[in-house]
Amino acid sequence: MSTSDVVTPPIDVMTPGRKKHRGLLEEVWHNFKKNRLSLTGGVIVMLSIVVAVFAPILAPYNPVEQFNAPPGQHNPLPPLSRSEEGTLFLLGSDKVGRDILSRAIYGCRTLLQLAASSITIAFVLGILMGGVAGYRKGSWVDETIMRVVDIMLSFPTLVLAIALVGAFGVGKTHIGPITLSNMFKIAIVIAITYSPAFARVMRGVVLQEMAEDYVDAAKMSGGSGWQILTGEIFVNTIPPLIVQGSLNMATTVLTSASLSFLGLGLQPPRPSLGIMLNEARDYMFGGAWWYALVPGVFILLIILGFNLLGDGLRDSLDPRQARRTRL
Amino acid sequence: MYLVHKGSEMGVYLFKRLLLALPTLLGASIIIFLLIHIAPGDPVRVMLGPMDDPALRARLIRQLGLDLPLHEQYLRWLGKVLQGDLSISVTIQRGSPVVELLAQRYAVTLELAFLSAIVALLIAVPAGITSALRQNRLSDHIARIVAMVGVSVPNFFLGIMLILIIGVSLHQPWATGGFVPLSESLSENLIRMFLPAIALGTAYSALVMRMLRSSMLDVMSQDYVRTARAMGIGWASIVRQDIVKNALIPVITVMGNSIGYLLGGSIVTETIFRLPGIGRLIIIGVDRRDYPVIQGVVLSIVLIRIVINLSVDVLYSVIDPRIRYGEGGE
Repeated sequence: MSTSDVVTPPIDVMTPGRKKHRGLLEEVWHNFKKNRLSLTGGVIVMLSIVVAVFAPILAPYNPVEQFNAPPGQHNPLPPLSRSEEGTLFLLGSDKVGRDILSRAIYGCRTLLQLAASSITIAFVLGILMGGVAGYRKGSWVDETIMRVVDIMLSFPTLVLAIALVGAFGVGKTHIGPITLSNMFKIAIVIAITYSPAFARVMRGVVLQEMAEDYVDAAKMSGGSGWQILTGEIFVNTIPPLIVQGSLNMATTVLTSASLSFLGLGLQPPRPSLGIMLNEARDYMFGGAWWYALVPGVFILLIILGFNLLGDGLRDSLDPRQARRTRL
Repeated sequence: MYLVHKGSEMGVYLFKRLLLALPTLLGASIIIFLLIHIAPGDPVRVMLGPMDDPALRARLIRQLGLDLPLHEQYLRWLGKVLQGDLSISVTIQRGSPVVELLAQRYAVTLELAFLSAIVALLIAVPAGITSALRQNRLSDHIARIVAMVGVSVPNFFLGIMLILIIGVSLHQPWATGGFVPLSESLSENLIRMFLPAIALGTAYSALVMRMLRSSMLDVMSQDYVRTARAMGIGWASIVRQDIVKNALIPVITVMGNSIGYLLGGSIVTETIFRLPGIGRLIIIGVDRRDYPVIQGVVLSIVLIRIVINLSVDVLYSVIDPRIRYGEGGE
């Protein structure tokens, strides 16, 4: 028995008898709302999106504005202390007198931006690779694409991401006349590491759909391969890919934050939760616990939210599997 | 007869797995080789930076064969790699062979990964078993929620909090990071590795615990367990003899497959606890654009991962329960 038989793929939406679209969505929602943990996850995710979108309104101060410590004291200041100017640091200040809460709120924004753009790019890459491979099943195109996918999956995600950042260098990258912003470059790097997973799911779903009567019908009525793939099959591949996306969001957030923590991701002074934690290391022996605690809890909650949500979605799509393995 | 047959089948299976692993490894080596050429511009200038002196430059070009056509460069590079020559580091202990650097540092990383796996098992096995046996009771719910949080906590956050709480608040000098070589003092080494192993092992243990729980629930719903119960065999002995043993098999696979997680995670953990392992090495390499170092670390990690996955598959085919049950039935 090979390993793939043991590790059940997380998504099994292709269960026969649940093909009708509205029925599926209704059933998913019905199952989903019964699970309190996944609802909690959904709420956490919604909250973090609200925080990210409305960061300029929610943050008490400008995240890069520096305030002076009162005479006799020095930054970082603990929670509920005031700067010389009288501004209140609800959750403390950082090494140069910036408000931790404001930086964490903006950090949540950049982290979600980065993770969401990475997932979107990975999504597109994965759909292209998996779609073509599945549609041309058995051809050399399929063989080549899936071989590349296998090879990429032999790299641990974080290691591949670090290696690619190492190749491009930290910061802005110039490729000929094009300048890639650091954020976009990191999004591409992370997307490359996650696209194989999407490609595999996409290929599986396309193969499933190809066996359906409607594809034969479309072929017989003279549709071209590309038309059938984009017009007919594509629509049906969306739900499983969305589940894969929400499951991967948690790990993408972790990879993004890890890169920033290691100094290879976003660069200061851009507010980033990973950078904040990295800076906090220099001040932990001085007892500045809030410096690490606040950004850490933000990252933890975002990842927890996506994990709970992803688990819930997966279970809702396949309750039979869930009954056995739900956590 | 039966066993012999199984044995030869396993040989074929092993051979197939090896054949499958080779192209993957070869493909990975191409990607790793190309890392140096992805970035636009002259890689030698990027690598040498301010230290660009003609002698080192010429040595580097000769070492890496950068004056040859790309495919020849690759073949040359691969040939050297197969002989255990990973070129020289440009920036670390100037001009020292990457293989030597890796050898110095792998001891630390492998120890960390090993201890983390032990921490993970010590937490995951009792928690997973209890959780599955008391499915949907309070202890199960608590264990599941703790596991979910455990999976979600970034190891760098956990590491910093451990240092803050134990090292700073409780004034424990061993809990503030740093490394003592095994050769110097075993006890001091282990005590310093304790927190890093927990920081790295926690998320891993949560992963293993979730897997063990679901795998046990799976086994518990099997017919032979029901049969055994109906035959009046004590529940405790069924749990010990059948359920846990069989449930551990997919868990081993998962643990083997996630060795990549441990090696990737050790990069972060080593940074927090200032451990001189390969994680620190690759970060320094990336910082200084030291391509041979980056390539060496990544190549070794991929190699270890593929070898471990292979060994897990071998282990798996050896302890496949159906073989054992086949024997038991005879």
